[in-house]
Amino acid sequence: MTGGPPSDEGRAAAGGPPGGAGRAAPGGPLSDEGRAAAGAQADEAARVTPGPAVQVEGLSAGYGGEPVLRDVNFVLDAGRSLCVLGPNGGGKTTLFRALLGELATQAGQVHVDGRPAYVAQTDRTRLDFPVTALDVALMGTLAHGRWWLPARRADREAAHAALDHVGLGAQAATRFGELSGGQRQRALLARAIVQNARVLLLDEPLAGVDPASAERIASLFDELRGEGRALLVSTHDVESARRFDLVLCLNRRQVAVGPPADVLDTATLQTTYGSEMIVLGDEAGRAITVHHHEH
Amino acid sequence: MPSPLDLWDLPFMREALVELALLAVAGGVLGAWIVLRRLAFFSHAVGTATFPGLVTADATGISPTVAGLAVALAYAAGVGRAGRAGREPGEATALLLVAALAGGIVLASDVFESGGAVDRLLFGTLLGLESTDLLLSAAAAALAVVCTLLLGRAWTAVTFDPDGAPALGVPARRADLLLLALVAVAAVAAIPAVGALLVTAIYVLPAASALVIARTVPALIAWSLALAAGEGVVGLYLAYWLDLPPGPPIAVLGSAVYAAVALAAAARKPEAVRAGRPAAEAA
Repeated sequence: MTGGPPSDEGRAAAGGPPGGAGRAAPGGPLSDEGRAAAGAQADEAARVTPGPAVQVEGLSAGYGGEPVLRDVNFVLDAGRSLCVLGPNGGGKTTLFRALLGELATQAGQVHVDGRPAYVAQTDRTRLDFPVTALDVALMGTLAHGRWWLPARRADREAAHAALDHVGLGAQAATRFGELSGGQRQRALLARAIVQNARVLLLDEPLAGVDPASAERIASLFDELRGEGRALLVSTHDVESARRFDLVLCLNRRQVAVGPPADVLDTATLQTTYGSEMIVLGDEAGRAITVHHHEH
Repeated sequence: MPSPLDLWDLPFMREALVELALLAVAGGVLGAWIVLRRLAFFSHAVGTATFPGLVTADATGISPTVAGLAVALAYAAGVGRAGRAGREPGEATALLLVAALAGGIVLASDVFESGGAVDRLLFGTLLGLESTDLLLSAAAAALAVVCTLLLGRAWTAVTFDPDGAPALGVPARRADLLLLALVAVAAVAAIPAVGALLVTAIYVLPAASALVIARTVPALIAWSLALAAGEGVVGLYLAYWLDLPPGPPIAVLGSAVYAAVALAAAARKPEAVRAGRPAAEAA
């Protein structure tokens, strides 16, 4: 599975070839109708809807010149999780931006079920910003339309419920900047829950989070999957990738995609990370460490 | 020491008072968004950028309001474009500030020989405020309030998390451009009273102090509004008493209030959250 674009295996593992992607169009990942429909169905988002939530076919994307990411092919069903693994500059964020529709695809097609929620790296958020955890969760209600009107009681209730869901009910009035790294991550997850997105994109959600919080966030991922949402999570941590249904390895192109047991072998990781990788362990590949330079 | 009641009893002072009250509303409300969106430098730059335009208008009889608005909006559009291209317009802004200031002075003294106008344009005046000045300030105040009521939630989400907010479906890009344009208009409105160099005295200092105090965005706006009004009125009185243009005393007062608030906050909370991010987050 190392080397060329393993689209066939990837699709088989991910549950069937993409078909009937009528809403997708090259160059415009999501049509306006697609977005409108997503908004109308937002309240039903949490229902388990079998079938593909994300379909990517022959995607090449970049910022004008040469594509910085090419030949990406995978299908992610609703209620499944996918870990995006790769070095810095490997194309993880580019893939997310293409899925968000912020980046025109240079080749191929992207289809996302509804408008995805995006949780950026929390170390880029401002800690002096005067918002509470509840305010952050409440931002998710903007996705329901009518963002020009004040929040309604139902909005506040939804935000409180989402904070309870992520275990931050007691911290609703705490300032975002005063939360711990893991709690901030969960507040942003609460925003995504309120947003009612069926597809969640999370950029390095476990970076700089202590092990207890990471465990808590990982079990939250399982709950969100159980609600029928599809999760795409980028990470540096090879070990944590084993908890996902699928792993997608990127290094400026798709190196491999498939279940962790198939993908997380030494050869694939070597292709993914190149010289950044140090292999400490045995043939079973249990102790593969990826060294990251400070940047 | 003159009676504070003169501020209301003398017609020209009353006009200045009304002008500053309107600017306090515009500055207090917009200032909150300026500090949240980190537009402090932009608001300073947009004021200075208008200076050569104002000198030219002053000397040639064009309406300074129109000239100022044209330059300021063009500048805002340029910054918006640069931001879209992902460029930080730092060096370009610094270059523009120096060029605008120097160019304006050269125009004023050598070309139009109107050196006396320079002080007035840079630091503001109590005398000679015109009804168009008051009208523009009233419009800026009204726009600031209306846009905050309609766009406040979207602006909060966009400024809090610029990467994540577009996925919420708010028109992040357009909301941001509108904010830039609004700040440009408001900066031009403030120039007659406080001067092109000191618009930040109204638009940044009160809100920066409020950001130290406030825990929510509505509280930030309320504090910013109260401080802008208080500093504006007291500064105006000081200007009248000490025979100064109003810009400098308002700016000095605003800086003093910020210093006091920041020191008080630092003393109360030595490990201030504002000081930085936990080391673990830097990974």
